[in-house]
Amino acid sequence: MIDTTHVAPKPPLTHDVLTDVIDLALWAGQMLLANGADSARIEETVHHVGTGLGCDWMDILVSPNALVITASSGGEFRTKVRRVTRLGVNFAAVDAINDLSRRIDMGLADRAAVRAELRQIADAKPLYNRWLVVGMVGASCAAFGRLFGADFPVIAVTFVAAAAAQLVRQELHKRHLNPYIIVVLTAFAAGLIASTATVLSIGERPNLALAASVLLLVPGVPLINAAEDLIYGHAVTGVVRGLTGALIALCIALGLLLAMGMMGVQGL
Amino acid sequence: MNAPDLLWLVVQDAFWSAIAATGFAMVFNVPRRTLFGCAIAGATGHALRTLLMQGLNMPIEPATLAGATAVGALGILLSRRLRAPALIFGVCGAIPMVPGLFAYSAMIGFIRFAGADAATGNELLVTATINLVKTGLILAAIAAGIALPILLFRREKPVV
Repeated sequence: MIDTTHVAPKPPLTHDVLTDVIDLALWAGQMLLANGADSARIEETVHHVGTGLGCDWMDILVSPNALVITASSGGEFRTKVRRVTRLGVNFAAVDAINDLSRRIDMGLADRAAVRAELRQIADAKPLYNRWLVVGMVGASCAAFGRLFGADFPVIAVTFVAAAAAQLVRQELHKRHLNPYIIVVLTAFAAGLIASTATVLSIGERPNLALAASVLLLVPGVPLINAAEDLIYGHAVTGVVRGLTGALIALCIALGLLLAMGMMGVQGL
Repeated sequence: MNAPDLLWLVVQDAFWSAIAATGFAMVFNVPRRTLFGCAIAGATGHALRTLLMQGLNMPIEPATLAGATAVGALGILLSRRLRAPALIFGVCGAIPMVPGLFAYSAMIGFIRFAGADAATGNELLVTATINLVKTGLILAAIAAGIALPILLFRREKPVV
């Protein structure tokens, strides 16, 4: 039982207003789930959005690819399910919705303002120029190679392979391919270019280029979210996110092995 | 290893880790104001791990746990200062510690084991399994390390 005696009772919302509030709450939750937030954050944020907009209470069920929300006000309640299929990572969106929910909670945004701001978040373009990202991903994997102990010729090959792979990933992403197929093909592209280090015997340990150039695909967000979800008792989403991460790792291995087989590289 | 050499190694290590973390932060489209924090988190975690491994001869798994705990604690500090989810700094800061080389070696080892005979198979299997176990332990240490400071220091009353 929740003790609400210390707060003044909220005026009950009409059915139409309740419909509007639950739609906004679902929209915010959907964007959080689709962009890499952990389940506890989704639950907390959706709760703030609903109660901040006048509901007495919100109940949220976070499933790996859907949200169920019940909004209650007075004697009235509404329940809605929303499917969330395409999962990716966009921390700017997570941050913006987090900030919005904080302001809603303080009573600084009404429904029209929330709708306008959610639309703005949904339509926002990526913050970083795609060519800058291509270069930085190349540099990132090259840095990994350096941390593994690769010499500079191998690092250079890693840079080219990872940057080209990021370009492949961006192009495939635009064409809305299945995410796992994108991982396989991206790893394949990285593996093809990184194999040249071994084929042409560039540098001292050319196999490090193979290991480092596919790291741009590492499923860091699903795996860390899996751990957070399990710790906070969201076991179902935690297990599914962990499986997703493992599947991505297998897809990386598949793409890389295909490329190495084609290039006749042993990878040692 | 003497102190100046160790220091130089750790500084280089921090530099490359910062680059690795920044690239991933851009892929994850982090807010611009958090980009520098992500680089700092990445550099701190991996450099601390290297310092413990080289300076104190610590095995990689506990050193990773220490590095990830530092990333998690730094993530909380940065998230308060910059008013951003701690998850951003945790994920980006952990990236440089990802056991990519162990995972790769395990994969290659098991593929070669599939084509081995009884004479050579033993050694291949042992090496591959060691690499696989190391990969798993390091990943677990990263996850536990990042979550640890949040569990210890953020005991707010749940709103839901």
